[in-house]
Amino acid sequence: MIFDLIQNTFDGLAMGASYALLAVGFTLVFGVLRRVNLSYGPAIMFGCYSATWVSLSFHSNVFSLLGITVLGSVLAGTYVERLCFAPHRQGSAIAAMVASFALWMQFEEVVTLVMPKHLYDFPPMFDGESLAFGPLSLRVEALVMLACALSICYALHRMLFRSRFGLAVRAVIDAPVAAQLAGINVPRILLLVFLLASAIGGLAGWLIVSTHTQVTPMLGMWSTLKGLLAMMIGGLGSLPGAVIGGLALGVLEAHSQWFLGPQARDLIAYLLLFVLLAWRPRWMTTQSAS
Amino acid sequence: MSALLEIRELVTAYGKIEALKGVSLDVEQGSITCLLGPNGAGKTTLMMTIAGILRPRSGSIRFAGKEIAGRPPHAIVAGGAALVPENRLVFPNMTVLENLHAGAYQRRDDEIEPDMEKSFRRFPRLKERSNQNAGTLSGGEQQMLVVARALMSRPKLLLMDEPSLGLAPLVVEEIFRIIVQLHQDGVSIFLVEQNAHMALKVAQHFYLMEQGKVSFSGTPGALAEDEVIRRAYLGSAKA
Repeated sequence: MIFDLIQNTFDGLAMGASYALLAVGFTLVFGVLRRVNLSYGPAIMFGCYSATWVSLSFHSNVFSLLGITVLGSVLAGTYVERLCFAPHRQGSAIAAMVASFALWMQFEEVVTLVMPKHLYDFPPMFDGESLAFGPLSLRVEALVMLACALSICYALHRMLFRSRFGLAVRAVIDAPVAAQLAGINVPRILLLVFLLASAIGGLAGWLIVSTHTQVTPMLGMWSTLKGLLAMMIGGLGSLPGAVIGGLALGVLEAHSQWFLGPQARDLIAYLLLFVLLAWRPRWMTTQSAS
Repeated sequence: MSALLEIRELVTAYGKIEALKGVSLDVEQGSITCLLGPNGAGKTTLMMTIAGILRPRSGSIRFAGKEIAGRPPHAIVAGGAALVPENRLVFPNMTVLENLHAGAYQRRDDEIEPDMEKSFRRFPRLKERSNQNAGTLSGGEQQMLVVARALMSRPKLLLMDEPSLGLAPLVVEEIFRIIVQLHQDGVSIFLVEQNAHMALKVAQHFYLMEQGKVSFSGTPGALAEDEVIRRAYLGSAKA
């Protein structure tokens, strides 16, 4: 029993690490632009499909696939930013969100046109066995994911508080008009933040599909939902919150699946979101991105 | 010789409503030029248009010989004009030091640190609070910070939008003392003010603006001060 609990927590943390990475990218865009990008997950899915296509067509190693996934996500992200977010910078947040929904549909259509099977294999990150600790087992992929989530969060934090670019980002978050008056090229900073978020999303996508060793077009919706959920649990617009929210979501899902069955898994996650939105604890309503 | 800032027939509109209906004025190199007028005359709209935050519908803004109308704000800062906006727009969750660094964002030279020291000499209160978040400063200190931040870009022209608004009389005097000092250091200043009495004391030239147009232009003394003040606060509508 106690080993089951620990094993579940491990598995949950591993899954949660991928949620955390998704939520970090989401949070970066939301914290700076104050806009929800529904096309965040589908852009990642597009990146993963690009890599799948390459791996089916050419002989390629694991790390070149990582590069292609990130590149594909960044390209798709650029397309989303130019079409949905740059034109609505002063305008309504709803317009940007609805536009990003339209691009979501586009990405799904494009990948299913080019690659019509419901499911494609994706090369795994490692061929090796799980690590065993007595009765517990731990996948190496899980450790890699966890390490990536934590180190990216740390690196982003350093960047925000130690670099010139970070200074500009925080200025834009704090007072956009004042940032413009200080000579900061605000549209450029917003684009760069978007691209950075897309790159992190691409990394998350690669970690996820190379762990699960398969891709489906559902990956887009799945990534958007998990990222959004983890971001909201962690408190909108907080980077450490996004990591904690992602890990908490993963652990919660693992335990509810174990105790209540696979149907309860998502139900419990949405129930938690509902309770948090109704109750709205103080940490959920913080406004800074740092 | 042409003026440092030349504005001709400038029109800026919010939707169908024209806030500036063909404004023309000059700010001479090395001067303090002051713009007075009642609320809603379009003074802030004019400042925001010069700084590039608002795009004009038509007309021209020439700064140091170059057309800048419709250019983005960062290009205007790069050209050498910095705006101290209304309402003390600091970066509230950043420290005083970070606010000043943000002001020097476009600079790559190695004189940023000496300039930082210079602003701390000019505004000793900011030095005491350099690691404090700007949001925790008093109104007067925030105003000093916004001025210091604008100066960090080493502007040739400082645009100031109501720097004395809502400040205690002693702080207002300090702000005007700083304006005079900056002027002596060679910065040209274009000042929007409600405090006509103080503004007329420091300015070499002033404009009156009413309902989106310049209604009077002259040197202090060209119009009796009480007449200026009456028109600056109430407009020229006949009582």
